[in-house]
Amino acid sequence: MMSQEYLTIALSKGTLLTPTLELLTQAGLPVEGIHKDSRSMIFSFPGEPAIKYIICRPTDVPAYVEHGAADLGFVGKDVIAEQGRDVFEMVDLGYGGCHFAVAVPKEQENLTLKELNYRRVATKFPVVAERFFREKGLQVEIITLHGNIELAPLMGLADMIVDIVSSGRTLRENNMVELVHIMESTTRLICNRVSYRTKHEQIQPLIEKIQALVKGGEKNAN
Amino acid sequence: MRSREIPKGLRDLLPDEAKNRRNIENKAAQLFHSFGYDEVVTPTFEFMDVIEKGGSTLRDKLFLFMDREGGILSLRPEMTVSIARLAATHLQDEPMPQRLFYSANVFRHVQPQMAQYREFWQLGIEMLGASGAWADAEVISLAVMTLKELGLEHFKVSLNQVGIFNSLLAESSTNPNEREQIRNLVERKDLVELSRLLERLPIHDDLKETIARLPVLHGDMEVLNQIPYVENNRAASQAVEELIKVYEALQIYGVSDHVVIDMGVLRGLDYYTGVVFEGYSPELGYGLLGGGRYDNLLSQFGYDCPATGFAIGMDRLALVLGQQEQEQRYLLGGKNLEKMVREASKLRDKGIIVEIDIEGNSQEVLEQKIKEKTGYSLLYLGNE
Repeated sequence: MMSQEYLTIALSKGTLLTPTLELLTQAGLPVEGIHKDSRSMIFSFPGEPAIKYIICRPTDVPAYVEHGAADLGFVGKDVIAEQGRDVFEMVDLGYGGCHFAVAVPKEQENLTLKELNYRRVATKFPVVAERFFREKGLQVEIITLHGNIELAPLMGLADMIVDIVSSGRTLRENNMVELVHIMESTTRLICNRVSYRTKHEQIQPLIEKIQALVKGGEKNAN
Repeated sequence: MRSREIPKGLRDLLPDEAKNRRNIENKAAQLFHSFGYDEVVTPTFEFMDVIEKGGSTLRDKLFLFMDREGGILSLRPEMTVSIARLAATHLQDEPMPQRLFYSANVFRHVQPQMAQYREFWQLGIEMLGASGAWADAEVISLAVMTLKELGLEHFKVSLNQVGIFNSLLAESSTNPNEREQIRNLVERKDLVELSRLLERLPIHDDLKETIARLPVLHGDMEVLNQIPYVENNRAASQAVEELIKVYEALQIYGVSDHVVIDMGVLRGLDYYTGVVFEGYSPELGYGLLGGGRYDNLLSQFGYDCPATGFAIGMDRLALVLGQQEQEQRYLLGGKNLEKMVREASKLRDKGIIVEIDIEGNSQEVLEQKIKEKTGYSLLYLGNE
């Protein structure tokens, strides 16, 4: 159940937390006492506007927002794309950039896309992987793992992997190369379908402020 | 062995829940009836050919099976298409407009979760054979009144006219596939992907800006002034005028406090042609009701007739409304059945709920029993 007076915002803990808190500060929201090492999971700021934050795992943010336990959420597109939740995607915040890629062991780097047909792919993102290969008209066998995906080709469990790549260091360290770039991912501001309508007076100005900040930031960067 | 299981996404309603549903149903039916709406019942399953006339939105969610003659059957995923079929086959010669209501279980193969079941109950009305703002306004105000009548306070009904969006899109030099994509993104409010897609497409800049603004336009009639480009498109400005007329009529009905204009509401189903609306409660993260005008659906069944209506999800409504208060009951005990039956029937005539103690317990035993039950009083007929 949503609380009526508080605007509840779900934040991803981990690397996204610091830039998100910076953005919230710029937008004039209270964030005192929240930092990446804090153990509390809920922070309430009564006042005007009344804001409540919940700090949770990035992969849990869309669930909180979809079911209305949070009105807004800050989370990576990679998580949204994989979960396909029924939430509104309001703003591309630009930070936390990475991309989905198909990667293979270095000795296979000359493979063409077609040659991947009917092969095995290990991934933490079965939905994204499945959709990508299906759209290319290819059929692959997907093996869902929960971490250290790079291990799978080394051990002969899979021929390739689909994973998110940010600096590319993990791939290099495991002697793998990127074969296909699937899609970009950055942090997004998402919103519950109903909150957007029932708390519109609180949410819309905040979204516009953040949009303006993001646009301004782009200009400064250029 | 699955002798104690039920299929995924289904559920039993226990007495309290069933009572809640019955209460919602009764109050709504009474309200609909007072506006001249009569109940209709259609079969639980239909030929798939019938269901498909409603468009492709629900196609992958149908429960399909075959009859022994090889016909493909579908459990109904909603009621509007069935009622359109019923009207086209049975009501063509009746005087118009026709006002109909229903309360029915519908079936969709969805991923079950809180407030989303594979069998759920819909309560709704359809007004057939009437076009124009007054008809839309009656239907929308009835939706608002139903929620009020059931005791809901903080809810909003979002209102739009799909003609605004559709006419603007038709004007752009996009192909049907691209239009479907844009529509999808506006409906899902995926503003990030929408602005990217629009950037790629060869659309006039002013039109592009208007389409990008539509999903976030939300408020009172004032928002209609924020889309100046619409004046260049005749069909779109006509749609805007229609929306204004409906909104003004809703002010007369005294329900406009609960109504907001929301240009992002397009409704998922393919058959809507005019004013559309959705209802939300802040206590629930999912929509409560939806409806709108569907002037072309009946012609799919060979009967060209305008129509408008809405459906409320009873299961979701029950979640928001919570439990009803338990009414007072009497447990009637004694040794002389004849006396007991006579007394019970006298009390029942006065509208009191009476359970006869069919076990013939003594007064002491019954006094003990009453303590374990809530809402019961004991009435014991002695030997005098």
